[in-house]
Order: sequence, then structure tokens, then C-alpha cells
Amino acid sequence: MRTARDSPGTGRLRSPAGAVARVDGYAPLRDYAVIGDGRTAALVARDGSVDWLGLPDLDSPAVFGAVLDARRGGRFRLEPAVPYRAERRYLPGTNVLETTFVTGRGTVRVTDALTLHDDTALSPMRELLRCVDGLSGSVPLRWSVQPRPGYGGRRVRLVRRSGVPVATTGRAALAVCAWEAGDPECEGDTVGGRFELARGRRAVIAMPFADQEPLVLPARHEAETRLERTGAAWRGWTHDRTYAGGWHEAVTRSLLALKLLVFAPSGAVAAAVTTSLPEDIGGERNWDYRFSWVRDSAFTLAAFLRSGCPTEAQAYFWWLMHASQVTHPELNVLYRLDGGHRTPERTLPWEGYRGSGPVRVGNAAVGQVQLDTYGELLQTAWLYARAAGHLDADVARRLAELADLVCATWRRPDSGIWEVRSPPRHFTQSKMMCWVALDRAVDLAERRLIPDRHISRWRAGRQAVRDFVESRCFSPYRDCYVRSAGSEDVDAAVLLGLLHGYGDARDPRLRSTVDAVERELRQGPYVLRYTGEDGLRGTEGAFVACSFWLAEALARTGRVGEATRLMDDLVALANDVGLYSEEMDPADGAFLGNLPQALSHLALVSAACAIDAAGAGDAPGAGPAGAGADG
Amino acid sequence: MSAGSIAAGIAAGGFVGTLVLTTVLRAAGEAGLTRMDVPFLLGTVVTVDRARAKAIGYVLHFVNGQVFAFAYFAVFLAIDRTGWWLGALFGLVHGLFAGTALVNILLPLVHPRMGSRSTSAPDVALLEPPGFLMLNYGPGTPLVTVPAHVAYGALVGGFASLAG
Repeated sequence: MRTARDSPGTGRLRSPAGAVARVDGYAPLRDYAVIGDGRTAALVARDGSVDWLGLPDLDSPAVFGAVLDARRGGRFRLEPAVPYRAERRYLPGTNVLETTFVTGRGTVRVTDALTLHDDTALSPMRELLRCVDGLSGSVPLRWSVQPRPGYGGRRVRLVRRSGVPVATTGRAALAVCAWEAGDPECEGDTVGGRFELARGRRAVIAMPFADQEPLVLPARHEAETRLERTGAAWRGWTHDRTYAGGWHEAVTRSLLALKLLVFAPSGAVAAAVTTSLPEDIGGERNWDYRFSWVRDSAFTLAAFLRSGCPTEAQAYFWWLMHASQVTHPELNVLYRLDGGHRTPERTLPWEGYRGSGPVRVGNAAVGQVQLDTYGELLQTAWLYARAAGHLDADVARRLAELADLVCATWRRPDSGIWEVRSPPRHFTQSKMMCWVALDRAVDLAERRLIPDRHISRWRAGRQAVRDFVESRCFSPYRDCYVRSAGSEDVDAAVLLGLLHGYGDARDPRLRSTVDAVERELRQGPYVLRYTGEDGLRGTEGAFVACSFWLAEALARTGRVGEATRLMDDLVALANDVGLYSEEMDPADGAFLGNLPQALSHLALVSAACAIDAAGAGDAPGAGPAGAGADG
Repeated sequence: MSAGSIAAGIAAGGFVGTLVLTTVLRAAGEAGLTRMDVPFLLGTVVTVDRARAKAIGYVLHFVNGQVFAFAYFAVFLAIDRTGWWLGALFGLVHGLFAGTALVNILLPLVHPRMGSRSTSAPDVALLEPPGFLMLNYGPGTPLVTVPAHVAYGALVGGFASLAG
């Protein structure tokens, strides 16, 4: 058993089950769980510290950012004051987290939630609620709240209002309301307390937040009722989901994680909760993922439609078409969650997770040319049209114009799906997705869902793209589609050609490409993204989504047993509460990159559905919805 | 001035002003300056069918144009003055009010399908909220909507002045 106090030393971070370890103040990324309310989300470490929280929204500046700067980032700590081990889980069917601290003096359980609005009481604008229940013995606990609004850049004024500590910074304020959790003491810009909790007692700490409006200070019973209702609301949502396949628990948790990434006020889906968690510890591969990538749209819509989330699917498609209107016919690679299209990149004066600087906010990839996004958008529209049976006239016209643009631009080099910062190239996956874009446009036009005036142009373009890919992007030496035209590098992203319908499972070139990805990029259950350079220093871990794409590709090419084994291995790689980051270190399974990562969970859902379908004897399909169209 | 004849002018000004305002916004949308679409926002209050929403929205938008024109009329009568420049001033206030309170705060609260800052999981909004000065719909939105409202106000005031 180790204490939760910061322990000195460096080296790999992977805490054994139950133990709590920090190195230089940083918890292993694998030790984080996420809670959220559909507008923002927080990371909670195994030792009970809330180390990340943006307020009021997911993409707002952080109030707690200790995961990116253990000294200056700010956090909300709550833990036993004696040595302990911790176990945790989500309450079944919810995004309410339960952490049980077992100590030599007894056991306590902390329940954490960002609460949902309540019909019976005036709800705070946002509320982080932490309830501590004494289960046995009598346990001393300590807590402290160190708000660092505006990524630590705003000065906090700590005052008391009606006896309650309130931290104000201009237009925003948060309070710390504590019941049976000791008298909150203010010291500098930190609020804290100590208390001892006996069996059968409950302490409650609520942290309401307000932005441009008065604070709502909740009564204790209102806060506790809101926690109950929050759990019930999540259980109700989960109950309506329809996945009934072989990986029910993993898929359900993935859907709940994805639901936390849906920005409820707009319907956008964020790529992750965090910014700048490193792909390479100590390296520079640190990006802001609190935006919505068009690239994820096809998997997102397919996952929503397959799992009985039509409301989320419709909202997301509406948002996507609305957000892309200003830049039409060109697509931004990503959009802000409020639909805005400017995401200027800057760095914060934080040291970064375990010294992994720079800490970036904003994302310069927004200005890159990434041709595959057109394929993903048209695939998304195609899935939506199949589900809804129609497209409205404006959307139909714009989709046709997108297809025209693809015809005019597919010959350009681009930065590709992996957003390399080296010079643009003719990436194979980008060309394959241009083919998908034109193929879906032709199909939609043939079904009279979009204007068909330029259908012959799209057909000719589609054939030209295929000729390019087949003549310049396939290596007889490697016996696979390669990373870019003329190269000999292998890229797991070309698996998306199979998954999104560039070709089907009978295509020998795609089948041998699956073999090549296994041979060149797979290490056990882990799959690296690509071989070759990308314009950045350092290395990176295995990309979680690529592993699931490989599992899906194996299933689609008839290797269901192998796919099932890989899927089982991958499901076992989640952390103790079922979450995935963007990447993992193949050496020890440590999480790398931002988390929870939408694409990882989307790929899990897609792979699970595909393997279930293949195992049930369904014909392998070409696209994520299980149907495709060949040109 | 004669209230009856001014009322006729107000009605005409309201119609022409709304016509111009709508045209400016639509043209700005086509030019990629904004995603603001007032008829769409209004129509989706009553239906999720996008095409029907726009048709109904245009009707509601022109009704609103008359309502606001007659609100201007009340103030013209109260101060016993009118004119295109006074109307333009009202339009400026109207445009700023629309961007900061009416569409930014009030519409999300009453629109059954629009998100607000209160919308949370497990609900999902079908329409993103416009945000302060409707900036969520593009950085050029206030640069379009405020002058369009100024033009609307000038036309209402101008027609009222001509009729008087």
C-alpha cells in the first residue's frame, strides 16, 4: 500500500491494482476516470483528485489543470489522511464515479458527479458534487480546492458569502459548500478542510459555478437529490441503447464515454476531453482535442445509428452541416463545439504532463488541407440519408457541390488523416476517401437524394481516383497499399479503405494490406499508425483506434476467430473503468495522448458490431453501416 | 402628422425593411460571411422538417417584421418625431438587442429545439445556440446583422416619414 502523497522519482508510471502512485505530482494517465454533464467534463484520478475541469464548457479554459502542471494547474483533492488503496467503478449504467478508499482505520466511498439539472430545485449553472459515505470504521480525510481559472492566468479573489467560500474572477465565480466535511478554511487562494467520517455518516462537498450570472448556492438535500436524479437520468439513457452483442459492457461504457463527449447545447462531438496530454512523454506531440473533427463523423453517425441513438445522430448531422456552412464548399478539418471555425493555436506557460511541453490550446491543423474529410462527410450524409430516407434541399445541394469540389481538388497533395506537419503528400487514405466521396455522391444522386446534374463528372472522377490509387499507391514489393504514392511505408489508415467501402472483403489487394498491417505495424494487440517520418521529433505509442480497425478488418475478411481474440485482448486493455486514451505504450500498456478519446471508443463500437455481424454469418460489408457500393 | 397614414407607411416600411434585411442575410450566407438564417431558426420552433421550417419561418419572419415596425411606430408617436435617420438609430438598437438578448438569450430559452447553456446530457439540442452577438454563426455575423437592422429601421422610419 502506498500513500497518495506525491512520491519522488521518475520512470514508468503504472500503478498496480488498487495502489495509488504519483511521480513528480503526476498520476498515470491510466488512473483517470471522467465525469461530465453534457457541457463539460472532469478528470478524476484514482487518488480522488480532480485534475482537469474546464468551466463552463468542455472547451473553456481550465479551472483545474493539475494534469498539465502539477504545481500551478489547480485541483480539487479529496482523500484519506492515512495510507490507503483505492478501488473504483462507475455506478452501473451511469457516468457517476464511485471510488472506495480502504484504509487501516476503515473504509469510505466517494461518489463524484457533474450533476444534471433538477426540476425540483433551482440548479446551479454547473455543479461538481462529491459525496463521501463512511462504510466502516472511522476514517480521517482531507480536502482542498485550488481553483486556477483561465488556465491559471486569472487572479482569484476568495471571499465568504453567507459563510460560504466563494472564488471570483471577473464574470465567473465558484463556491465551495461543505456539509459534515469540516469547516472550510481559506488560505491564500485555496479552500480546504479536514474531517473524520464514521460508518453510516455522509459528508457532502458541492462546488457550484456560475458564469455571467449569480451563483446558486444549493441546500444539502437539493444537492443530494440532484445526485440521485443524475444517476437515474444516466440509467434511463443507457436503458434505451440497443446494442446486444458480445461485448455489451465495453460497448455500453464506450457509448457512455461518447455521450460525455457530445456537447449537448449544439450536438457536436468532441474528439477528447483534454488538451496536450502527450503522445510521447517528454515530447512535443501535444495537441488540443477539445474540438469536433469532421474525420470522426462517419464512425460517429454509424455508432449512434447502430446503438439506438437517433436523436444524437440527427443532432450531430444537423450540427455538422450547419457548422460547415461558413466555409462551404471547403471543409475545415475541425470545428469548435459551438460551430465556430477559428481555433488559433497558442501555448500556455505550463510545464505539461511530466514535463511534456508545450501545452497547446487551439489547433493549427484547422488550416491544413486534408482531403479525406470530404469522404467522411459524404459517407456520413449517405448513412444519414439511408436512416432518414431523405435529405433537405439545401443539404442536398451542398453535398453535390462538395462532390464537385472533390473532382476539382483530389489531385492535390495533403496532410492526410494523421495531420502530419511535414510537407503535403499524396496520401493513399486521402485518395481512397476521395473515391468514397464520389462514390457516395453517385449513389445519392442515383437515388435522387441529391441533384444529379454532374453525376457523369463524379463517375469519371471516381474512376480517375481509383486509377491513381491502383497504379501509384500499391507496392508489389510490399504487397499492400502504401502510405503515400510512390512510398514503401505502411499505414494502418488504409484499412479504412476496407471499412468505409473503397473496396470489399474479396479484394485481394485489401486482404494482403490487412496482412501487411499485421506484419509491419502490429505488436501483440497494439497497432502503430505508420512507418516513416511525419515532421515531428520523437516517437509515439500505438494508436488505439488502429487496433480496433485491424480487428474489424480481420472480421470483414472472414478471419472472425482472429478478430474475436484481438477484440478480447483490446477490451482488456481499457483502464479499470473502461476508458481508452488515444494511444498506448506497447511496452507496458501506459496510456498516452488525450483521453477519453472519441475515436478509440468509436472504433471499439464499430469493431464490436462488425465482428458480431461477421460471427452471425452476415455477409461482410464494405462500410461501417454494413453496406457499401462499389464503383 | 396623421397616425392613420403613418400606420400605412409603417406597414409598408416594415414589409420592405424585412425584405431587405432577409435578402442581406441570405446573400451574406451565400457569401460565406455568416450561418445566420432567421427563417430557419423561427420555423424550427414548430417543425423539424427543414424545408417546411424555412417556409413557415419566412412567414413568421415577415410577421415579426410588422410587429417590430409597429413597436417603432409607438415610439414615433410617443416622441412625435419620425424620419429615416431616427429609424436607423432604432434599427441599430434593435440589431444590438437582437444579438445580445433577443436571439442570444431569449430564443434559446423558448425554442424547443435550440440548445442553451443549460442544455445538458442526456438531452441534445438540434440547433446550436447563436451565442453573444450571434458569433457562433460566424465571426462576420454581427457585421452583417447589425447593418441589416439599421437598414430595416431606416426603411421603416423613412416610409413613416414619407406617409406622414
